Amino acid sequence: MQSNKSKRSLTVNLSAMRKGFSIKPLAVGIAAIFLTACGDKQDATVYKTADDCSNSNPEFAQQCQSAYENAVKEAQRTGPKYNSQRDCESEFGFNQCNQVQQGSSSFFMPFMAGYMLSNLMSPRGYSSQPMFTSHSRNSSYRNRWIGADGHDFGDNRRNKLRVSEKSLQPKPTVNRTMSRGGFGSSVRAKSNWGSSAKRGGWGG
Amino acid sequence: MLRVAIAPRPQWQRKAADFGFKFHTMHGETYWDEAAYYQFSLQQIEQDIEAPTEEIQQMCLAVVDKVVKDDELLQKFQIPQAYWQQIADSWQQQQPSLYSRLDFAYDGKNPAKLYENNADTPTSLYESGFWQWLWLEDQVKAGKIAKSADQFNSLQEKLVHRLAAIGKHYDIKHMHFACCQDTDEDRGTVQYLQDCAQESGLLNDFVFIEDIGLSDCGSFSDLRDQKIQTLFKLYPWEFMQREEFGAALQDAKVNWLEPIWKSILSNKALMPMLWKLFAGHPNLLASYFEDELTQAKETKLVKKPIFSREGANVSVLEHGKTILQADGPYGQEGFIYQAYAPLPRFGDNHTLIGSWLVGDQAAGISVREDSSAITQDMSRYLPHIIL
Repeated sequence: MQSNKSKRSLTVNLSAMRKGFSIKPLAVGIAAIFLTACGDKQDATVYKTADDCSNSNPEFAQQCQSAYENAVKEAQRTGPKYNSQRDCESEFGFNQCNQVQQGSSSFFMPFMAGYMLSNLMSPRGYSSQPMFTSHSRNSSYRNRWIGADGHDFGDNRRNKLRVSEKSLQPKPTVNRTMSRGGFGSSVRAKSNWGSSAKRGGWGG
Repeated sequence: MLRVAIAPRPQWQRKAADFGFKFHTMHGETYWDEAAYYQFSLQQIEQDIEAPTEEIQQMCLAVVDKVVKDDELLQKFQIPQAYWQQIADSWQQQQPSLYSRLDFAYDGKNPAKLYENNADTPTSLYESGFWQWLWLEDQVKAGKIAKSADQFNSLQEKLVHRLAAIGKHYDIKHMHFACCQDTDEDRGTVQYLQDCAQESGLLNDFVFIEDIGLSDCGSFSDLRDQKIQTLFKLYPWEFMQREEFGAALQDAKVNWLEPIWKSILSNKALMPMLWKLFAGHPNLLASYFEDELTQAKETKLVKKPIFSREGANVSVLEHGKTILQADGPYGQEGFIYQAYAPLPRFGDNHTLIGSWLVGDQAAGISVREDSSAITQDMSRYLPHIIL
């Protein structure tokens, strides 16, 4: 079965293999990836504070707190931003905005008025979204629950909502990560073992 | 099969830096060693390595087909029951595998003997597919090796084609790649596969195993909260199946590379199973489960943990007494026993042949040398030629 064919690769793209002086940074390029879709409409509740949530769900106090913190972070990241305090207050009302510094620029953003929570009791984990509301007579958002993207979730005297899955998605990133670090513990355990783990890799 | 001394390429370390080959020297010790190479005849490569490699792959697949349907065997393979159905499904759906490395003891004359199948997380891929290829190009160009010399190494081409085919199979344009933190070698291996994926037209992103997240919908996510749809993981299935996120594997609906049915191959219990199905095959060593040890006629046996890496916890027994032992953190899942067949020696070196498979096709070899009879994680990598 001897062949005259070359037994090695003929078409290796050398320039594509060149790396400069180090291995490439972790992520390159942005790929279009589909949104996760779990289903249709879901029940959600809006809580004004973490305490508001844990008073209604004492056994989930910890989740209430971390969902609140996530929502605060998300509000910072995706909430509406204005160049001037006047613009922001005209939409959200007097004393309803604060100044935030991001890099070299500063913005005015409304305070988070509450957060929408769903699947609090689901073993797969909850999802949460920051909620805003307006106190301004000039705004069509007055006394409404508003999402970070301006979606109107209805009268803010009601806190039980029925929302589509999509509105629970963070914007614009893809899905909501509830926990990390669930893989890799075996490596930590085995790495504690002396010399043969000196290379640290888990290939063979 | 010869071991031939040769002068290393001048300034090859600088070239390694240019190409991102960071782990040629590890912990002050040489890993990539180009002060010598191994020379094979085409007949040795094709008859003694290439053909047996593809034949053994088919034998291994026959083992998988038997084990997935047999609860008792799955138990013997130490696969947690929670994953039996997923493994059977992934086999039933013929989820495509990417690559494997069969390790052989081969001396150039006698049939190569299979030591084990690294079917899940084999490394030394970059050194094999690219770096030793480049070494041969350079040495031929410099007139140090005959122009007619070849190498058994179509790894890179085959990986690029295979990744494209897998992309088509799952109808995807993007893949995630993952390995553990703090290891240049694993990161380099995965970067190489990302390069191959790039070449095959697939977009790719990287995430460390420790950073993988679980989302509200049950899918896994990277650090930018992107859903992980397809994941190459340089991380063993037997670890994942015993970790916190293992319970989420079923619902995460990831296209896995390697697919989970390969848990059956990357498992030392494969060796006694091969022997049961194909006893006496010239490329197999007699192998036994712990409870079959009374059948063993061999006076010298090698005891290997069901799960282990890089020779860790392997010991050699003579008349039941341990005469050589490598320490390590493995072995709690039990052991298998394999007839003792020492590695051939070239000078003071014990030499091991790694034979690569991409899909079901033999794709090249790597040669490793160690000063000990049990190849450990610090054994050196040497290039080879066919002449």
